[in-house]
Amino acid sequence: MRDHRAFRRGFQGLFGTAGKLLPPDERTLVQPADIPVAAARIGACGSPRNRDALEGTIHSPDREQSRSGVDPNAIGLQRRVSRARASTVRAMVTMRVPMTRLQDTPEEAAFRDRLRNWLAENTPSVAKHDVAGLKAWQKRLYEAGWLGLTWPSEYGGQGLTYREQAIFNQESAAAKVPPSINNIGLMIAGPALIAVASSEQKERYLRPILTAEEIWCQGFSEPNAGSDLAALQTKAVSDGDAYVITGQKIWTSNSLIADYIWLLVRTDPDAPRHKGITALVVDMKSPGVTVKPLRQLTGEAEFGEVFFDQVRVPKANRVGAENDGWVIGMKTFTRERANISISLSVRLQQQFDRLLHAVRSRDVPLDVQCARQVAQAYVDSECLTLTCERLADRLFGFESSVVKVAWAEMNQRLQELGLDTLGPEAPLLPGRGFDESAESTATWGTEALAEGGESFEKSWQFGYLRSRANTIEGGTSEILRSVIAERVLGLPRK
Amino acid sequence: MDFSLTDEQRMLRDSARDFLATEWPVAELRRMLDASDAAGASNALWRKIVDLGWPGLLVDEDYEGLGLEMFDLAVLMEEVGQYLIPGTLHASGVLAALALAALGDEAAKQRYLPKLAEGALKATVGVYERNSGWTTALLGGASNGTVAKRFVPDAGDADLILLVNKTSGNDVELAIAHDSEVSNLHSMDVTRPLFGVECKSANLERVGSGTLADLQAALDRAAFALSAEMVGGAARVLAMTVEYVKNRKQFGRAVATFQAVQHKAADMLIGIEKARTAVYYAAAAADEQPEKLGEAASIAKIAANAAFVEASQKGVQLHGGLGFTWEQDLHLYLKRAKASEFTYGDSTWHLDRVAHLLGLS
Repeated sequence: MRDHRAFRRGFQGLFGTAGKLLPPDERTLVQPADIPVAAARIGACGSPRNRDALEGTIHSPDREQSRSGVDPNAIGLQRRVSRARASTVRAMVTMRVPMTRLQDTPEEAAFRDRLRNWLAENTPSVAKHDVAGLKAWQKRLYEAGWLGLTWPSEYGGQGLTYREQAIFNQESAAAKVPPSINNIGLMIAGPALIAVASSEQKERYLRPILTAEEIWCQGFSEPNAGSDLAALQTKAVSDGDAYVITGQKIWTSNSLIADYIWLLVRTDPDAPRHKGITALVVDMKSPGVTVKPLRQLTGEAEFGEVFFDQVRVPKANRVGAENDGWVIGMKTFTRERANISISLSVRLQQQFDRLLHAVRSRDVPLDVQCARQVAQAYVDSECLTLTCERLADRLFGFESSVVKVAWAEMNQRLQELGLDTLGPEAPLLPGRGFDESAESTATWGTEALAEGGESFEKSWQFGYLRSRANTIEGGTSEILRSVIAERVLGLPRK
Repeated sequence: MDFSLTDEQRMLRDSARDFLATEWPVAELRRMLDASDAAGASNALWRKIVDLGWPGLLVDEDYEGLGLEMFDLAVLMEEVGQYLIPGTLHASGVLAALALAALGDEAAKQRYLPKLAEGALKATVGVYERNSGWTTALLGGASNGTVAKRFVPDAGDADLILLVNKTSGNDVELAIAHDSEVSNLHSMDVTRPLFGVECKSANLERVGSGTLADLQAALDRAAFALSAEMVGGAARVLAMTVEYVKNRKQFGRAVATFQAVQHKAADMLIGIEKARTAVYYAAAAADEQPEKLGEAASIAKIAANAAFVEASQKGVQLHGGLGFTWEQDLHLYLKRAKASEFTYGDSTWHLDRVAHLLGLS
């Protein structure tokens, strides 16, 4: 039988999350008398907020007592309601829905404290495009034991759960640490290798991913194989103990700095399209590999195009069996979406906090329509954050698509709302705009904490433009809606 | 969609589901609506619900009820909402039980709550007035010696009609309306009729009092319970729609294979999952963090409004011409969705409240 008290502690954790929106001194509700107009619509929704007083009443011992000693097999709200019967029924009904435990256990709380202290002392200030600095920061994290939290310990991981990973995401976001330079390796390629690679391959590749000594990118999409990934045409021809690869990948994040690419190629052009694909690990320094930056509409080049011209790759670099790459690729995707979902809630809350700060610091009061839109954004972000928690143990399945679609559209609305709050200033780019030299002034880490939001990359303008990719990257919303319909709701494909 | 219920909860939910599917399929509801003896059919269902003990779900054990908490209610109300149970359970078991608990004096509780829990007494509560909207601070009170309430659920069938009247700036009283005039307001949701109740002040028997905040807290709990029902209703519409589009063939294939159809169904699911989360959140708030109840109830109502209205509208659309017929059950859900949306505050009202709580107004 599950411990419903642990679950209930969990839900108190939720309130901590939501309650942070107002600084402590603002938490007492404005009473209706203070704001007559608002009060007229709102009525008396205020009640005293005294957490300490309430904490004492939540688990009164005698109530817990009344739930003990219950036959867990008793079932059914049936027949007449006698006191004894009522007690049994009540105890039975109070088996809680064991959603993710949101409040830390003592062990988790200790983990969080240790991490928070460590981050406070060790978070550096790194310029946005300082690759060496970002690599050094990741190595520091690894050496201190904060990376590969869910990875097996024999390959340098910590063997912990996604709960610790979620704590890491929350705390590192709050500390505004520099971004992970090897995020594709850490969040996509590494977990995929753990799931499907041979032990020799895991031994060889996993640890350098953690230490950032080897940066990874992912070569799946092609100019003619985006959403329709199985149409990929980059071919690998068997030649002795090697494959010879020719073709092109595109939208390849981190390809400009990557040491390895996690690649899908076509090994059997005559097989049905899902059956002739193979997964390979390819050294980006191999002769015949060329990378070109691909500038995106924000002016940056987060990703590039990767060209393969007769590139020889040892067969030992094949992951899984030949022509088994489609299944492996799909595993990669579910990992990717689950990992993204886990980090979404933190990002969304940060963005909402930013929006709230922006609208509160305006000189002109919000009109009622705009206030409603902000309130709606709050409602949506709360619902989505809590849904991530509620569905946490399903996020490795197709349910992650539910979260991804909702998050992408939510973040787009939020970024647009942030931009809208600027009024006539909205179209004006801060700094020197798309001039790439302006980007180098952006920093991550401790200096970012004190920053006034002047740089382009921290502006609503950038956020708005960048968010247009949210409904495309990691699966377009159109594809994911079909995934939901077919894989979650069970609608037929044909 | 069943994500993470315990075995015990699943059994509980399933037993409720079995009962409802057996004893109250929507076909039964339709017979009731079409029958000359609608009240008789409704009463037959009510007797079965009484046997299950549901009228006393929220009544404290001290008054012979089950004393369930809001979280317990969520699981059951979701099931109840799937089958469009007529209004008595909500009016008496939820709204009246909450109002008596929040505002009733001890004598009134002792006198009425055990009977209410037992199902021997069907009660309802009138709160809102023509000019109050959903804002209890705008309640007016008696005019020309008469109190006039609107949107009183199931008053036509109630044994006990309670009215909440404003007595001064921040205070309200709970009073029994004796010899009141009850008129059907003809809600589009005929499964949950709404009434106007007029009562001479002289015929009011005061049985309790409290503040506007006490009243709002009770209404927030009722709104949460309704939101849970709405999530159930939306889930049912989605299930019906999925079944229909899988079987309906056009152009030589199931219409479920068309993206335009699939994506509407996916949106229905996304809305429902968000609303279900919000309902659980509100349940936990009601039980454990009453200071967060207002915000959480508003979030739940906003999410449930969106999910149920969207699901039922898209459900009608995806059923094509059939969805527009009286014969098909969908219109019952659409009307329940729309009527529920405007019960205890529409989304605009709740958004204004959230905006206020965020310090934006």
